[in-house]
Amino acid sequence: MNAAFEKHCNILDYALSALWRRRLKNGGILMVFAAVIFLVASFQLVTSALTETAGKVLAAAPEITVQRMSAGRQEAIPLAYGDRLHEIFGIRATVPRIWGYYFDEVRGANYTVLGVAPDMPQADGLGKAVSGSVPWPLGQGRVVLGRAAAATLELQPRQLFSFFRPDLSLKPMTVAGVFRPETELLTADLIAMPLADARDLFGIPASQATDLCVYVANPAEIVTIAEKISKILPDTRVLTRPQIQKTYQVVFGWRSGFASVCLLAALAAFAILAWDKASGLSPEERREIAILKILGWETSDILALRFWEGGLVAGLAFLLGITLAYFHVVFGGAALFKPVLVGWSVLQPTLSLAPPVTLKEVLLLLAFTVLPYLAVTVIPAWRAASVPAESALSG
Amino acid sequence: MMRRPASVLLSIVALLLAIDAGLLAAGQVRRNEMARTLPLLHSMTAALGLTDLCVATEARYTRHPAVSDPVVPFMDHPAAMEHFPTGSFWTPTIRP
Repeated sequence: MNAAFEKHCNILDYALSALWRRRLKNGGILMVFAAVIFLVASFQLVTSALTETAGKVLAAAPEITVQRMSAGRQEAIPLAYGDRLHEIFGIRATVPRIWGYYFDEVRGANYTVLGVAPDMPQADGLGKAVSGSVPWPLGQGRVVLGRAAAATLELQPRQLFSFFRPDLSLKPMTVAGVFRPETELLTADLIAMPLADARDLFGIPASQATDLCVYVANPAEIVTIAEKISKILPDTRVLTRPQIQKTYQVVFGWRSGFASVCLLAALAAFAILAWDKASGLSPEERREIAILKILGWETSDILALRFWEGGLVAGLAFLLGITLAYFHVVFGGAALFKPVLVGWSVLQPTLSLAPPVTLKEVLLLLAFTVLPYLAVTVIPAWRAASVPAESALSG
Repeated sequence: MMRRPASVLLSIVALLLAIDAGLLAAGQVRRNEMARTLPLLHSMTAALGLTDLCVATEARYTRHPAVSDPVVPFMDHPAAMEHFPTGSFWTPTIRP
């Protein structure tokens, strides 16, 4: 046991010396390999952080959302649609929502304006989400801003600002408060106001709303009730809470353009490395193997040597790549991805990501990167090592 | 006495693993902080009827992917082209 261990330690020492002799080439391979792993791991960490956060936070999203569709687009929904749902047994409440976007042409910002209905669940607890003491429910003409929206509007020390209604008349609003920083991932661009004010700002008639939130008595019946709503209101799109939660598992997939580019870049870099290795050993490497065989090394020893060399390069690159990726995502706010993740958004939340690191994901990444590299390193070495030493030396 | 190359390697690996452990510990502290704010975020999500995270605000299909049309980038007008950068990061929503 000790002899075998000592033998492998010696082979490892020799492998390290061999790697050091060709340090420029091996260092280059290590850096490229680490960069590929960094790219793939960073994407995986960003998406898993956002997917996990969405899954947890949106567990309290409306149980069913009903939107009216017309000519393939979402349109305002008549409040009378809500009355038609009363016949469905199991519906606890139907609450009309008014929300939409307000584009600020001066600043290029796109705010999300949300009317807050007093009969929404847990509406009385909203005051806790606002910095300072804000009387809740909000009074007429008073709004609560997300932090990015407040910063973009540059209101300090003013508390008054105005938005244009569709007829270009001005609607004045008073800032009652700003959402707390820890809610930024939900509220950065939000302007929350009483339902009547949102209706007034968007010019939505009193008989209509943007969509309807339906709350059911038994959460196990969400899907059944959603199917019944679809039958009663065939011109609507009915979204359930489980669908909303699943959305974020779908939108950050490897099929998105950016992810495909990352993956293709990784595959291309890996293919070049594999090609270099699989196309055979250099004459120098063949000569080295032949000399080792003449000195008494067996084929298995040479395979062990190549395995150690490949394993060291791939293992170190993996460790380096994954460490940098974690630092980049958690402490660097995924700075390299942010330009694509948020695009031309003027209103940007401070991304505070804390992805879960599971053994499954680490092993998956290891299996896709290190193992194929080991295979393409060892196979040509095995081919060279099985050739008699004399013929290898004679070239 | 000269140090064995293997012990130098071991030192480098140990250093990297120690850095990893430190980073993971700091990340866990942040995860714990986020877990503490979860009840507040839940009550906000319920009270405002929120359906989406606020990550990108440039286009409605990346601001609210959960309640947007799956093919909305190409629905703005006939033969519309997707031109927002976030459209390359976020895939269209395909609902079951």
